[in-house]
Amino acid sequence: MTMTSPAEDTVSPEGHVVGARPRPRRGVSLADAGPPIALVVIFLAFAVLNPSFRTVGNVQNLMDAAAVLAVVTCGISFVLMMGSIDLSAPGVMGASAIAVALLVENNRNGNDLGLLGIALAIGLGAALGLLSGLALVLLKVPSFMTTLGVSAVGLGVATLLFDGVQPNIRDVRLDSLSVERFLGFSYLAWIAVACVVVGWLIQRYTRLGRYAYAIGGAEEVLSLSGVDVRPYKVMVFTLAGAFYGLGGVMVTSQLGAGLVQAGRGFDFAAITAAVVGGTLLVGGRGGVLHSAVGALLVTVLTSGLVQAGVSPYWQGGVQGLIVVVAVAAAVYPQRRRNQVVK
Amino acid sequence: MKLSSRPAAALVGLSLAALALTGCSEEAAGGDSASAGESCAPEDVRLVGQVRNESNPYEASWLDGGDAFAESVGLEQERLTYDGDSTRQQEQVRQVLAGDTDCLVMNILPNGDADTPPIVQGADEAGAFLVTQWNKPADLNPVDYDRWVSHITYDGQESGQQIGQALVDDMGGSGGIIALQGVLDTAAAQDRFAGLEAALEENPDVELLDDQTANFSRAEALEVTRTLLNRYGDEVTGIWAANDDMALGALEALEAAGRAGEVSVAGIDAVPDALTAIEDGDMTATVSSDGPWQGGVGLAMGYCAATGELPVEDISDEDRAFFAEQFLITADNVGDFQAPEADVEAFDCGAVFDRVAEPLS
Repeated sequence: MTMTSPAEDTVSPEGHVVGARPRPRRGVSLADAGPPIALVVIFLAFAVLNPSFRTVGNVQNLMDAAAVLAVVTCGISFVLMMGSIDLSAPGVMGASAIAVALLVENNRNGNDLGLLGIALAIGLGAALGLLSGLALVLLKVPSFMTTLGVSAVGLGVATLLFDGVQPNIRDVRLDSLSVERFLGFSYLAWIAVACVVVGWLIQRYTRLGRYAYAIGGAEEVLSLSGVDVRPYKVMVFTLAGAFYGLGGVMVTSQLGAGLVQAGRGFDFAAITAAVVGGTLLVGGRGGVLHSAVGALLVTVLTSGLVQAGVSPYWQGGVQGLIVVVAVAAAVYPQRRRNQVVK
Repeated sequence: MKLSSRPAAALVGLSLAALALTGCSEEAAGGDSASAGESCAPEDVRLVGQVRNESNPYEASWLDGGDAFAESVGLEQERLTYDGDSTRQQEQVRQVLAGDTDCLVMNILPNGDADTPPIVQGADEAGAFLVTQWNKPADLNPVDYDRWVSHITYDGQESGQQIGQALVDDMGGSGGIIALQGVLDTAAAQDRFAGLEAALEENPDVELLDDQTANFSRAEALEVTRTLLNRYGDEVTGIWAANDDMALGALEALEAAGRAGEVSVAGIDAVPDALTAIEDGDMTATVSSDGPWQGGVGLAMGYCAATGELPVEDISDEDRAFFAEQFLITADNVGDFQAPEADVEAFDCGAVFDRVAEPLS
């Protein structure tokens, strides 16, 4: 007998079972379109308010400013998709920022590892992510606590490496990433675009990405069907750690120096960006592209308020209010699923 | 049973390990104490320096100054850091005060104004000699206490004005500047900005285009400056920053915008990178409070009081709370400040109040 091809399957009885599965939506739902629409509306609003906002220079500026946040948000998206939370970004970024500053040509020691140094710093980030993942699955500590702990570990490592003297980078290639431009955008912005594409490919086409979704959607079903989810959880945290590590390297390139505080505030900024973009905290929804839109939204908002001349005393409050409204609008269609809000 | 005892055992084990670690660092602090009320023998004095964190070059240099003083009198300084966490600072102070306090000297940087009263209260009850710096509420005064030797702070308005004027001079007396403010609800940020406004009043040809907060952070300053440069473009010819970290962030933004060298930049604190930037001509000015001096002189004041060389009741009221001298650094004198090192002679009991610029009213 010849094997039945998938095409013949559709006419066989089994084929009907396959066909009865809910088809993936082809169109764009309102929930998915919400954040991009909000991005366009907010951008246009600021552009009307302020002539300097509607310039090519400003768009370049916004892309450069969003680059690091986009990379960190990319990493955190996988964790959020899985229904876990990750607060380790500040520590991981601090450790990798100091590490890369000490490994490439710098004013503290004789190292000049160049690209290898960058790779090692990203590796350090991945290792810290691995630590979060292992603590989560082996010790059964909630991700909220493990990642908070790993953040403290990262900051500790960074402080030890810092050793009282600021490491300034002398490596021209790393330093020029934030200054040199290609097709109008800085190399950092292109790195962020590449990260989003790679993240999207992982999410869409690899078992890791698909399982991350599935764990967030219905972990028990996955376990009952015989999948050991633990290695995938560890891998997701490791992947996220690598993204944070790259984020730390990018901050170092921007500032020209390795700072322990390189990642300060990025944990909540990235979670905000992801949620504003439509990635739910309960997991199973959203993804890398959503988060990239969220990162742009947050950046446009921060930069726009400054350029619109809002008093610095008001900015924090106004920004928070707009974020709450934006999140409420983004998650309203899925409010029944958003059970993390109790 | 077994399950419940295992975490407990782990916890006990960890605590023991932590104790063993602290044991190493506290060994040096031992020694017989002199009886209360009398002056202490120099070798019995216990020196404690506390700052926010050692990852900040200024505060690290402060502790190094404390070490330099301690070494000059044959003692060791206990270096404490609380990571900018008020609760942790209070916890550390309580732990220190729970030990031997008769000849205890503490030189402390309170996290904020509100953190000073409990520290003063605790030290007073324990009979420890205390010097505080930078932050205290206006209605709390060392003269009302027996062993709160002095409170040292700096006139933020003066430093803000000094760098403001230096900036204006560098810009040739006219142009547009943007201001990067510190954490808005701190006295340091407000005073420094008031100083800039005073400098601008004297120079009507210079326009303040915009003022934004970057929370004393290098990374935030980079973003804010980038945004403001886009908004005001070539109108910006000067950047005033309430500290050096923000000034350095602004320099990176200028470089990314391809305008490095065209805009004057000034900050406050005299961190090593800023001094290098001034030497290279990238930055115009900064102000030094002399971290090593602060770290050493605070301990020296307490030490002199504890050993009876300078009894607290003999110190004049003007010296009990004062603005200390600060130094404007520009390309002309940057060489003198390149390697901040404590000048041990300034810690002599007769010299500890030499830098009183003005009593704190």
